[in-house]
Amino acid sequence: MALIGQDIAPPDLVAKITGRAKYAEDFRAEGMVFCKMLLSPMPHARVRRIDASKALRMEGVIDILTADDVPASEAPREPILSNEPLYEGAPILAVAAVDETTAAAAIEAIDVDLEPLPFVLDPLESLRPGGPDAHEQGNYASRGEWQSVKWTEQDFADAGNHMPRGEALMEWEKGDVEAAFAQADHIVEETIVHQSITHHPMEPRSTMAYWQNGKVYCHTSTQSVARTRVSLAGTLDMDPEDVVLVSEFCGGGFGSKIAGTTHMAVPALFSRKIGRPVMLRVTRYEENYIGRARPGFQCWVKMGVRTDGKVTAIDLFLVQDSGPHGASDWNTAGMIADLTYTPESMRFRAMPIYTNTPPKAAQRGPGGAQIISMLEPILDKAARAAGVDRLEMRLLNAPDADVTFGPNETTLTSVHAKEALRQGAALFGWAEKSALSGTRVGSKASGVGIGLSPYTAGSRGFDGLVLIKPDGKLYVHQGIGNLGTHSIADTARAAADVLGLEWDDVEVVWGNTAQQLPWSSVQAGSQTTHAHTRANHAAGLDAKRKCQEVAARALGGAADDYDVGGGRVFRRGRRGSGLTLAQVAERAIEYGGRFDGHELPESIHTVTTVAAGNLAGQGLLGVAKDEFGGEGAIYSWVVGFARVEVDLETGDVEVMDYTAVTDCGTVLHPRSLGAQVFGGSIQGMGMAMTQRWVFDPKWGVSFAKRFYTARPPGILDVPLDLKWGAVGIADPQSPVGAKGIGEPPVGAGAAAITTAVADALGGNCLCRTPLTPDVILADIEGRRGFGRLEQHVG
Amino acid sequence: MGTIRDMIAPFDFFQPATVDDALALLSEHGDDAWVLAGGLDSFDWFKDRIKRPKVVVDLGVIESLSAISESGDGLEIGAMASLTSIVNHARIRADYPLLTTAAEHVATPQIRNQGTLGGNVSQDTRCWYYRSGWPCYRAGGNTCYAAAPQAMNREHCILGASRCVAVSPSDTAPALFALDATMVVRHGRRERVIDAEDFFIGPSTDITRMTILEAGDLLTSIRIPAQWAGARVYYEKVRDRGSWDFALESVAAAFRMDGDMVADARVVVNGVAPYPVRLEAVERSIIGSRASEDLAIGAGEVAIQGVRSLRHNDYKVPMMRNLVKRAVRSVVA
Amino acid sequence: MDFLRSADNPWGQDIWIGISWDLVWLAVIASLAFVVLHAIAVRLRGPARIETTPPPADVPETSRVERHSLVARAFHWTMSIAMFALLITAFVPVLGLEFDWVQLHWMAGLLLLATIIWHVIHTLGWQDLWSMWVGPTDVRDGAIELKHALIPGDDDEPKHRTGKYPADHKLYHHAAATAALAATATGLFMMVRIDTPFWTRNPYLFGDGAWGMVYVLHGLAGVGLIGLVAAHVYFAVRPEKRWLTWGMVRGWITRERYRVHFDPTQWPVDELGDPSGDRGGALAEASPRSPQDDA
Ligand SMILES: Cc1cc2nc3c(=O)[nH]c(=O)nc-3n(C[C@H](O)[C@H](O)[C@H](O)COP(=O)(O)OP(=O)(O)OC[C@H]3O[C@@H](n4cnc5c(N)ncnc54)[C@H](O)[C@@H]3O)c2cc1C
Repeated sequence: MALIGQDIAPPDLVAKITGRAKYAEDFRAEGMVFCKMLLSPMPHARVRRIDASKALRMEGVIDILTADDVPASEAPREPILSNEPLYEGAPILAVAAVDETTAAAAIEAIDVDLEPLPFVLDPLESLRPGGPDAHEQGNYASRGEWQSVKWTEQDFADAGNHMPRGEALMEWEKGDVEAAFAQADHIVEETIVHQSITHHPMEPRSTMAYWQNGKVYCHTSTQSVARTRVSLAGTLDMDPEDVVLVSEFCGGGFGSKIAGTTHMAVPALFSRKIGRPVMLRVTRYEENYIGRARPGFQCWVKMGVRTDGKVTAIDLFLVQDSGPHGASDWNTAGMIADLTYTPESMRFRAMPIYTNTPPKAAQRGPGGAQIISMLEPILDKAARAAGVDRLEMRLLNAPDADVTFGPNETTLTSVHAKEALRQGAALFGWAEKSALSGTRVGSKASGVGIGLSPYTAGSRGFDGLVLIKPDGKLYVHQGIGNLGTHSIADTARAAADVLGLEWDDVEVVWGNTAQQLPWSSVQAGSQTTHAHTRANHAAGLDAKRKCQEVAARALGGAADDYDVGGGRVFRRGRRGSGLTLAQVAERAIEYGGRFDGHELPESIHTVTTVAAGNLAGQGLLGVAKDEFGGEGAIYSWVVGFARVEVDLETGDVEVMDYTAVTDCGTVLHPRSLGAQVFGGSIQGMGMAMTQRWVFDPKWGVSFAKRFYTARPPGILDVPLDLKWGAVGIADPQSPVGAKGIGEPPVGAGAAAITTAVADALGGNCLCRTPLTPDVILADIEGRRGFGRLEQHVG
Repeated sequence: MGTIRDMIAPFDFFQPATVDDALALLSEHGDDAWVLAGGLDSFDWFKDRIKRPKVVVDLGVIESLSAISESGDGLEIGAMASLTSIVNHARIRADYPLLTTAAEHVATPQIRNQGTLGGNVSQDTRCWYYRSGWPCYRAGGNTCYAAAPQAMNREHCILGASRCVAVSPSDTAPALFALDATMVVRHGRRERVIDAEDFFIGPSTDITRMTILEAGDLLTSIRIPAQWAGARVYYEKVRDRGSWDFALESVAAAFRMDGDMVADARVVVNGVAPYPVRLEAVERSIIGSRASEDLAIGAGEVAIQGVRSLRHNDYKVPMMRNLVKRAVRSVVA
Repeated sequence: MDFLRSADNPWGQDIWIGISWDLVWLAVIASLAFVVLHAIAVRLRGPARIETTPPPADVPETSRVERHSLVARAFHWTMSIAMFALLITAFVPVLGLEFDWVQLHWMAGLLLLATIIWHVIHTLGWQDLWSMWVGPTDVRDGAIELKHALIPGDDDEPKHRTGKYPADHKLYHHAAATAALAATATGLFMMVRIDTPFWTRNPYLFGDGAWGMVYVLHGLAGVGLIGLVAAHVYFAVRPEKRWLTWGMVRGWITRERYRVHFDPTQWPVDELGDPSGDRGGALAEASPRSPQDDA
C-alpha cells in the first residue's frame, strides 16, 4: 500500500512530546558565553554616544558588539545592529558575558545617549501633508530611490467617513472598472482596518554559534535549513560550504523565520569577534520586537454586483503599514481578491508605507489572510443587497480551472474551490444552519459565516537526494526545515512510494547541513509539500532506474525487465527474485560512477552537487532535479464555515462550531492535514477575534508584548465541534498531486468569523479586526469606539 | 540605561515553615521583603526587573495557610488555598457557588492550580502603562499615561478614578465582596479582621497600592460569613478571549428572595474601578421590590450613574449597565 | 538624603518628577528648630528697643486706629484657610495619614487663586502699594534687629518707628507671595492634568522634562510654605506680637500701639474713635484682654 494518504507518525514525534528534542537554545559548546542585546527604547532615534565602560569593567563581561562591528546594510534593508534604530526594540548593541545574568546586568549598566527623531506609526499619518516619515530619507523606497510620499489636504478632506485616497504608488487595472460600476445593480463601499499582529511562535528566535577551523557552526531556530545556511553565508560573506547549520526542531515560525532570522548573525559575528561560542537566547519580550509581524491594512473597497450575484467590479485601495523595512503583503492581497471573486473588472491600488513599528514579514497567508478576512463580509453585504444566498454567491463567483487573475493574467494548475464549498456546506450543514442566521435567544444572536480562502501552495524545480545504503534502507535527505508541519517526513513518502518501500525502511535525514542536504525550497508560501513531493519523487525515480540498471548489470537482461518493490529489485512478475536493496546498494558502490554518486547530473543545484558528492560511495544514490515542469500558479483552497453566538448585551462572541474543507490536491497525511487545517483556521479565528498589537501614539512604543496581552487563541478558546474534510482531487501537474496547506486555512478561519459576526449583527460589517466585545458593544450601543481608521489600537 | 525584561534579578529567598516565622521575616526586612504566594503576579514583576525586592518570602510551605475550614457558622479559607482547590471544594460549591464560579473564571486550569486566593485578591493591577515600568502615579511618578487623551485605555476604569485609572484585575474579589467576606491580616502579633470594603483601596487614598496591605502585613485567611450561604447568586465575566484573560468587566451578586420579592441583595462589579465596587444604590433600588424585567432595567440604569469614560472605554458603560441588569434579571421568576 | 526625585521616562530618559519627600520632613524639622531657637533667643535677649515718642495729649491712648479693612481681613483669613487646606491635603498624606486629598487640594488651590486675584485687584485699586516697598530704613532696622538678636550687649541703637508694615512683615509677605504664586502658577498648569467639566486631562501639554520642572517648583514652593506658614503662626501667637494678630482679627489697633510702633508720616491714619463709641465697640468689649497682652 502506498504511504501517501496514510496516517504515519513522523520520526521526530517522540522526542518532541518527551521533551528530549533539542532546540537551538538547548545546545552548549565548550567555553560558551551568553549575549544579551540592548534594544532601543525609542521608535526612532540616533545614537549619539555609547558608554559601555562601566559594563566592560564588570566581572565576567567579555566584550560588546556594536553596529560598527557588523556588516553594514543600506536602508531600507534591515541592519543587524543599528546606530539609527527605526523602531522601539531595535537592537543597538550586544554584550557577551560568562553567564546570562551578568550579560543582563551589563546591558543595564550601559549608557546610550539617544537623540529622538520624528516617528510615525500609522501610514496614513505619514501620507498627510507635513506628516512624519519613518526614515530620514522618506516613507517609501524602491530600488534605492527614496520618496517622501504625501497626499493633499484635499485628498483627506474628500474622503469623508472613508479612507482617504490620493495618488497611488502601485496600481493595476483589468477591464473598465468605472463602466462596470455604472452597470452594476448593487454597489457596496466600505473602509476596512485589519490590525497588524505579531507572529509569536512558541519558540523565540534563539541562536548559538561558534567557529572552528574557519567554519561557523550555527544552531538556530529557522523554518528552512538548506536555504537558511545560504542566507547566513550571505550575511557573513562566506562560502555556504563553510557554514554548518543545525536546526532539527523549530518551535514554529509562521513566516517569521523563513530563511533564518536577521539576528541569528549576532552570535555568529560575536563569536567570530571574541573567539568563543556565543548563545543568544531570545526572550518573549525581545521576540515581540524582533520577531516580525503581519502588516496591518487600511483599505477602501467598492464592490459592484449584478442582481444574480455576479461580482462585476472591485475597486480596492490598500494602505499598508510596512514597518521600517517593508513587506509585500499588499501585492498578494490584490491578486487574491481578484482570484477569489473573479470580478469582470478590477482596479487595485496600494501604498506600502514605512512606519516605525517593528519589522514586518510574511505571516501565514500574508496579504491573503487579511484581505479575505475583510472582503468576505463585504461580499456578504453585496449578497444581501442582491438577495442571493451567501453560499450561492461564492459558488457563483469562485474561479474555475480557466481562471486568470492579477496584473499578469496568472493561471492555475488546478482549482476545486467550488467542490470545497459544496463539500463544506454539506459537512457543516449550511442548509439548516443558515436558517439560524440572525435568530435570537435572549440576548444572543446567531450568525453563520463562510470564508473562502486561497493561497499559493507550491513551486517547482528543487532537488531530491536519496541514498539506499547497504543496510537496505532508504535515506531521504531533506534540505527543508522542521517547523512542526511533518513535511520532512511526509514529503519523503514520495520517494519511498516510487520504490515501493515500507515506512520502516525509510530514514529521514534532516536538520543538519553537515549531513548533506539537497537544494530545497524555503519552507514558506506553503510550497514544501508540492515542491518536495515532486523533488523526492524525481529522486525516487532516479534511484529506481539505477536499481533496475544495477540489477540488469548484475543479473543480466535489460533494466526494463526489472521492477522495484517490497525491498527488492526483481524480474517483472517474479517478486521473490533478483536482489535485495541492500545488495543493490553494495553493487552500486562496486559499480561506482553515477550509481553511487561519483558522477552527478548537470541539472542539479551546486548545493546538491556538493551534498551528493559528499555521499558518494555510500550506496545507491538517487539524485534529481524536479523537471516535471508545469504551467500556472499552484494554489490551495480552504473554505471555513462557522456558527457564532453574539451576546448583544456584552458584545461577547462565542464560536459554536466550525467546519473547514480544503482543496489541496492529493492528501499526503490525513491527520497532519487536519492539524494544519485546524491550526491555521484557529490562528485565523484569533486574528479575527482576539489578537492585537497596541501602540501608544504619544511614545510610539508597543503594548500587548506578552502572550496574555497579545491574545493569540489557545485550545480553550475554540469550539469543541471542529470538523474538516478534503476534496482530495490530485493536482494534474504534479506526479504526486499534492498541494500545500500551511496558509490558506488562516483566511478561512478568520473570514468565517468576520462573516458570521456580521451575520449575527444583521449584516452589519464592522470591517475591522479584532472583533472584541468592546468594538461590537460600542457599535450596538452607539458608543464612542475606536476611530474608523485607527490602526494599532486595542 | 539598557532595559532587560524576562530575566529575574537575584534576591534572597526564604521559605518559612510557620506563619510566625514568615511574619518575623517580614518585620525584619520591612520594605525590602516581598510576599510570594502562587507567583503569577509576583514573577511578572520580578521577570521584568521593575520590582526588585531584596528578600522574597515564599508562603508555599506553610501548610496551615492552605486549609479550608469551618469557622463559626461560616467558612475560613487559608490565603494559600489554590483557586483549583476552591473550585473543587464541595462545601463552597454548595453554599457559596458565587465564589466557585468566580474562581472558575480565572484564566486557565494551570493558572488556577498555581494561583492562590490570597494572591488573587492581593494582586496588582494589569494596567500596561504601569506594568511597562513607566513612571506613573502608581509607580511613584506624577503622570497617568493611561488617561492621556490619545492613550490606549479600553481596559481602564470608568469609576473611582483619582489620577490613576487602572482597574482591579481580580475575579474572586467581587464575589468575596458580595458575600461580605472579611480578610484576616496579621502584622507581627497584631491581627486585624478587615471588611472587603476596607481591604481594597482606591488611588484617592493611596495611589501606589491596591489593598490595605502594607510592608509586614500577611493576609492569613479569608472568612465568609454564613449570612449569604445558599443565597441566589449571579456571576458573569466578560473578557476578550475565552480563557487566559482578565475581565473587561465582571459582576457578582447575591440575593435573598422572599417569594418573588428581593428581600436583600449585594451587587458588586469589577473591572470598572481601581477596586471592586459595591453598588449600594442598585441594592437599594431593588430591595423590597418584586423582581421583574423592569426592575432589572432600572437597576442597570442606577448602576451607571456617575460613570465617566475615557477615550477608548466608553463601551464599559453599557456593559456595566447590562451586567447589572442581567444579575437582577437572574432572579426574575 | 535626596533633594529631587527622578525616574526614567518611557523612552529611558532620566527626568525629574518632583521633590524628594524627605524635604517635607526637613521643612517640618527646620521650622520647629527655628521656633525653638527663636523662642530661646527672645527669652534671653528680649525685644529690640524702639525709639520713644511722647504720648499725645489730645487723643486718648485707647482710641482705635484702623489697621486692616474688612476686605483685607476677609482676604487674609480666606487665604489662610486655603493655605492650611493646601498644606494639610498636600503633606499630611505624605507623612503617613492617608485620605482622599486630591480634590480638596485643587479646590483649595482654586480658592487660594481666587483670593490672590481679589487681593491683587484690591491692592491695585484701593491700597497703597508703596507701603510694601522695602526701603533703606527697612534695611537699617533689619540690621539693628539682627544685630540685637545675634550680638550680645545692650548698646544697640533703637529701631525706627515704621510705616504701616515693618520690614519683617514686608519681607515675609514677599517671600510668601513668591512661594504662593509659584505654587499656584504651577498648580494651575497641573490642573490641565485632571479632568474637569471643562476639559479632558492632558499630561502632554508640556514635555516631561518641563513637567518635571513644574513639579519640582510646586514641591519647593509647597515645602517653602511649610516653613513660612509655621513661622507666621509662631509669630502670630508670640505674646509680644499678639496685638498685631488681633489687629488682623478686629481690624484696628489702639492709639497707643500706633504711637509706639508706627511713624505717622509714613502711615497717617484717621481716628476710629473711642471704644465706647458705636463703631466696633462690641468687638472691643468681646476681647477686653487684648490691649494688655503686651509683654
Ligand atoms: C496570564 C495570566 C492571566 C491571569 N488571568 C486572571 C484572571 O482572568 N482573573 C484573575 O482574577 N486573575 C488572573 N490572573 C492572576 C492569577 O490568577 C493570580 O491569582 C494572581 O496573579 C495572584 O495570585 P498568586 O497566588 O499567584 O500570588 P502572587 O503573584 O505570589 O502574589 C500577588 C501579590 O499579592 C501579594 N500576596 C500574595 N499572598 C499574600 C498574602 N497571603 N499576604 C500578603 N500579601 C500577599 C504578593 O506579595 C503579591 O504582591 C492571571 C495571571 C496571569 C499570569
